[in-house]
Amino acid sequence: MNLFKAELRRLARRRLSLIFGIIAAAGVLVLAGVFWFTSSKGPTEEALAEAQAEADRMNDENFEYEQCIEDEAYLDQPDYEWVESDPYYEGMTREEVCADVFGVWTAEDLIWTYTFDFAEESPLLLIGVAIIAGLVMMMLASSAIGAEWSSGGMANLLLWHPNRMRVWGAKLGAAAAVCAAAVLALMLLAFGLLYVAGAARGDVSGLDAAWWDENLPKFARAALLSVGMTVLGASLAMLGRHTAISGGIIAGYLIVGDMLVRIAALALQMPFSERLSLYTWVTAWIDGRTELYDWTDLYADNAEVMVITASEAGVLLGGIVLGFAALATWAFQRRDVS
Amino acid sequence: MPPIIEISGLRKTYSRAFRQPHHALDGLDLEVAAGQVHGFLGPNGSGKTTTLRALLGLIRVDGGTMRIFGEEVPRRLPEVVAKIGAVVESPQFFKHFSGRLTLQLLAESAGVSKARVEEVLEQVGLRDAAKASVKGYSLGMRQRLAVAQALLKQPQLLILDEPANGLDPAGIHHMRELLQWLAHSQGVTVVVSSHLLSEVQQLCDSMTIVSRGRRIVDGGVADIIAGHGDSSLTVRFPDAASLPEAAEALTAASGSLDAAKSAVTASVDRDRLVVRGAPEPSWVTKTLADAGIYLSELRTEVKNLESVFLELTGTAPVPGRTVQIGESVVVPQTAPAEVSVGDVSVVVESEGAER
Repeated sequence: MNLFKAELRRLARRRLSLIFGIIAAAGVLVLAGVFWFTSSKGPTEEALAEAQAEADRMNDENFEYEQCIEDEAYLDQPDYEWVESDPYYEGMTREEVCADVFGVWTAEDLIWTYTFDFAEESPLLLIGVAIIAGLVMMMLASSAIGAEWSSGGMANLLLWHPNRMRVWGAKLGAAAAVCAAAVLALMLLAFGLLYVAGAARGDVSGLDAAWWDENLPKFARAALLSVGMTVLGASLAMLGRHTAISGGIIAGYLIVGDMLVRIAALALQMPFSERLSLYTWVTAWIDGRTELYDWTDLYADNAEVMVITASEAGVLLGGIVLGFAALATWAFQRRDVS
Repeated sequence: MPPIIEISGLRKTYSRAFRQPHHALDGLDLEVAAGQVHGFLGPNGSGKTTTLRALLGLIRVDGGTMRIFGEEVPRRLPEVVAKIGAVVESPQFFKHFSGRLTLQLLAESAGVSKARVEEVLEQVGLRDAAKASVKGYSLGMRQRLAVAQALLKQPQLLILDEPANGLDPAGIHHMRELLQWLAHSQGVTVVVSSHLLSEVQQLCDSMTIVSRGRRIVDGGVADIIAGHGDSSLTVRFPDAASLPEAAEALTAASGSLDAAKSAVTASVDRDRLVVRGAPEPSWVTKTLADAGIYLSELRTEVKNLESVFLELTGTAPVPGRTVQIGESVVVPQTAPAEVSVGDVSVVVESEGAER
């Protein structure tokens, strides 16, 4: 327990932790600020009146519309005979039909307003915050392990704690705990700030039990994914004994590796080729399920469908993380420390 | 009292692609008695640091046994590690942490009190620099911090690899006094690996010299020097022309000595005569005076640890060439021979070692 607490403190006292923490908090603040400044509950009466006057002026120049209103036979011309037979226009007033056929400007057309709908938009934002926090924690964890190797701190620590499994367990546990705490804190901060922005400048209705039932599991899975990313980053750094190796492998896979896998799958005309991409499984994990479609049979009425559930994605992603963690454990246990 | 450290037949081989494997440790034996300052010496690449790393569980070995406080290591190392303070090779720390925080984190991880951190900072002279980041520390300050870290848990066994490295003269003096105080007043067993032979000579009670992963010799420092002392006399004359005549006189006179004392040799070395095996300096002066030769200077040349080390390890400089790493003596794997020096026995593992 002492070792775990010391590892927590070691992580917390790192300068990089402070820098990343400030950047992450500032990022969330900027995100909420963007919604604060772009969202509004609607135009002011003055702006609305101004826009209406402009719309009226423009409509006055729309002669076809004017003639349609004034001349009841205008729509009987051969060009517009279809209007009478179109069921879409049934029950509409003459003004409404004319406005639809010839176009009419309204005040709303001339004034752009955006209203931030918290219930609709915040889930994606919060999941994004969790994943970015996970990426940051992954870098932090791999940097902590890498720096420990390159600074000689690992050898020093092992002189005090020769039980390597205990040392690795404490380091991994501390990284995971800090990640979980950081992700939770950032999500709560983002939730709070976005809610304030929505309440002041947008719409916060719809946060009912159904909303929570739908989104809370997604948030939890996103947070768990972040912890997994942290463990993966630490494990890769432990395997490579360098921060850059961890970052290089992950960035290399996400940027180049995934693209190569997709190209190879397309070249082989493999059905459901998207299943080779890690992004597909991450999406399935967070969303709860994802459907892949295969249109290779061009004569089929419907595409073949492959469903990936969160459980299946969890097994795969968890397997990858645990696999690398086990490999790092094995390497650390056997490796000479110089 | 059983030895604090017992190492027997330790082997460590590094496999290398497309090259011969390197035997860093080739059956090394080592024993360190309690309450002593023990020097662990050897040329570069002789296996000192490898031995210490193996002892402390940092590297795996391919054979042999190791015991600390009677417990087999590395298997039982967690049981005895609380009694061991160690610094292995150059001290390195996380550079953005202060000296105090570095020690506090280690202390916290092992349940050592914060007060102890302040004690050791004071003890190694880092009290005023404790708040500064390690990145601003000089090599000597880092060395002090490393020693502070080793002292933190009040060890009964202190293992220090090159503790004087980077220290200024005052620091070396302070370190020497500290280690001797720990060993002789506090009963701490101190193992010091060092290249500073004069320092080892002043600091250590006993020592082990290794070469190419094997022990060459071990025993008390004074005994080893005495055992390989082979002191000689340097004689100078007012006239260099007297040198051959003096050498002849001494060689002739040696025949009249007892059989046991008759191995007197006298050789001319530039402007001086080097006499070995003479029973007393006075015998030389008398013999030369009897032959009508009068000397202007007579000096006893006593070997120091450096000359003994260079001789034993076969790393003495050769005019015109540099001794390469790994060119030290190869010790045949035979049972160590015991050489008697007065009342003390010194174990010598090779004689007539080859280069």
